Amino acid sequence: MKKIILMVALISLFVVSAFSLKVFMVTDVGGLGDKSFNDGTWAGIEEAAEYLGLETAFVQSKEQADYIPNLSNAAKEGDIVFAVGFMMTDALIDVAAQFPDTYFIGIDIETTEVYNNIATYLFKEQEGAFLVGYLAAAVTQSNKLGFVGGIAIPPVERFRYGYEAGIKTYEELNGKTIELIKGYANDFNDPKKGKDLAVAQFAEGADIVFHAAGTCGNGVIEAAQEKGAPYYAIGVDVDQDYMAPGRVLTSSMKRVDVAAYDAVLSVALGTFEPGNHVLGIVEDGVGISPMTYTKDDVDPVVLEEIEILKNLVKEGTIIIPDTQEALDAFIVPEIVF
Amino acid sequence: MKQNKLYAFLVPVISVIIALLIASVIILSVGKNPIEAYSIMIVGAFGGSEQIADTLVKMTPLLLTGLAVGFGFRAGIFNIGAEGQMTMGALLGAVVAMNIGSVPSVIAIPICIISGMIGGALWASIAGFLKAFTGAHEVITTIMLNWIAVNLSSFMVTGPLAVGSGTPKSPEIADSAKLPVVLKVQASEMSIAIFIAVVVAIIMYVYLEKTTSGYELKGVGFNPYAAEYGGISIKKSIIMTMAISGALAGMAGIVDILGVPPNRFVGELSGGRGFDGIAIALIGRNNPIGIIFAALLIAALRTGSNAMQVQAQIPDDIVSIIQGIVIFLVASERIVYSLMQLTKRKKGSAAA
Repeated sequence: MKKIILMVALISLFVVSAFSLKVFMVTDVGGLGDKSFNDGTWAGIEEAAEYLGLETAFVQSKEQADYIPNLSNAAKEGDIVFAVGFMMTDALIDVAAQFPDTYFIGIDIETTEVYNNIATYLFKEQEGAFLVGYLAAAVTQSNKLGFVGGIAIPPVERFRYGYEAGIKTYEELNGKTIELIKGYANDFNDPKKGKDLAVAQFAEGADIVFHAAGTCGNGVIEAAQEKGAPYYAIGVDVDQDYMAPGRVLTSSMKRVDVAAYDAVLSVALGTFEPGNHVLGIVEDGVGISPMTYTKDDVDPVVLEEIEILKNLVKEGTIIIPDTQEALDAFIVPEIVF
Repeated sequence: MKQNKLYAFLVPVISVIIALLIASVIILSVGKNPIEAYSIMIVGAFGGSEQIADTLVKMTPLLLTGLAVGFGFRAGIFNIGAEGQMTMGALLGAVVAMNIGSVPSVIAIPICIISGMIGGALWASIAGFLKAFTGAHEVITTIMLNWIAVNLSSFMVTGPLAVGSGTPKSPEIADSAKLPVVLKVQASEMSIAIFIAVVVAIIMYVYLEKTTSGYELKGVGFNPYAAEYGGISIKKSIIMTMAISGALAGMAGIVDILGVPPNRFVGELSGGRGFDGIAIALIGRNNPIGIIFAALLIAALRTGSNAMQVQAQIPDDIVSIIQGIVIFLVASERIVYSLMQLTKRKKGSAAA
């Protein structure tokens, strides 16, 4: 059976590459160069395209009014069109209906209905952020933590729910009380806004600030770097630890690259499945960065505990809240390390 | 006089040509063919009904914010709060448009547009009053009001007005408030908004050039003290100017909601079109008719650049570069002017 599948896959691969698909990525207003979300997706597309020998191109959107024309133009030229970012949800559904022969992939997009030519990828951001929250709570010396969000849209909020749940878990298991300072930039593009918020949170006494704010968050990392030890930033989406080695405690990763890679392959291999695909820790869709520069700053016991927590999330023993209601009702399970 | 008109027309045109030439060097340096790039751009902006619709839809708010800023400039007011006024106009207009379901379109649409204009006008008047009575400079106050508008709109769209999951958004406006669509190609739609905006530009032209009140306003812009000496109230003029300028910006905000799907208020995600108004007013040299062409230029560059990205993989930054150079050249028109004078003098001396 396996052999047959492999054969079919190989044949379709041959057939498809003979046609040479063209993959288009339409960015949201964040655009490429955000060092997180858009860049991550693009990396996944490029990797898949190189593997399969496909053509790729991207289109950047400058305002919301660009979404429909950009997606339409891309659909005319391309066979697979990526719409990257939650803000494009409505435009994606409108345009996909006009181009039934083009495959549309939405990253960070959720549709309420299933459309034949749209596959969307979502993430359990809360699961990675949960581990990050636990770590931050263990590392903070001032017992104050910060959070900088982009715009309060569901994917950003899911990072916060997980972060808060992680902090709460540490508090209850270790009898510590931690204050959380929250702020939103109402923007994903301007690092200056992220920096202003981080500087303010540091001034209020926070010593670690987690950002879920795209390009805006690059300013948070910059603020932590300028402050120096013992202040930390926490990165998001991709492994941002390298951006200020030693001053980015860790990154709450969301493997948009894995999703993009899988999506391209699914079309090329004929295994395209319309509808929403949700990736969590189990699917390797989210996680915590390997902490290349900061491993030695953290008590090894805490790192072990995080490993244990990760397995508990994988097994489904702990369910991390993904809504405000679930967060309010979140009860820290009894865990014996 | 005729000479002056020709000159006003020549400066922006020459600037655009120079900007395109400089940008073509940059396109060459990234390994692409500038002729191919520009032809894709022109086809992408005007090549078919869909492209023209996209360009004109983009042009509408740009034209209105350009008029808003240009109107202020003519009266010596530097309104850089069009961004905030646009947002407030959109917000107030949208709230009205959501609740106007039972009223027929002929009445509903004007009511919604007027509410949008009132929203922008009230917001701008705050800065007008502050300038007239306390002397607070409008550059500072309008920028501060922009931020208040941004945060207020984010609050409204994630709080009191929020509906559904997904992108923060208000409910859809009533069907009777939607502007009639004149052109629909695939997912692109064009409403009558552009015609409304052009009519507004013509009215503004007539007002400024052909009426006493318009003449007074320009007088204040030209020399406020002389105008006051001549019996014009500066305070009244400042407040009126700010209010009208704000009303135009507010109109930009509301027609974008009444005429462009998804016909919802989505908060401050306008892509900086209020600020684009400053550039457009500059390129159009504060003349309403000039501003029509300036807005068309910028809209066409942007729509065309999207096509350039798709078909030739030329980064959209090239458009920012072209726009920057045009503004730079128009703003430093003295350079062009001096060059023209120099060639004239040379010709003159040769003749002598």
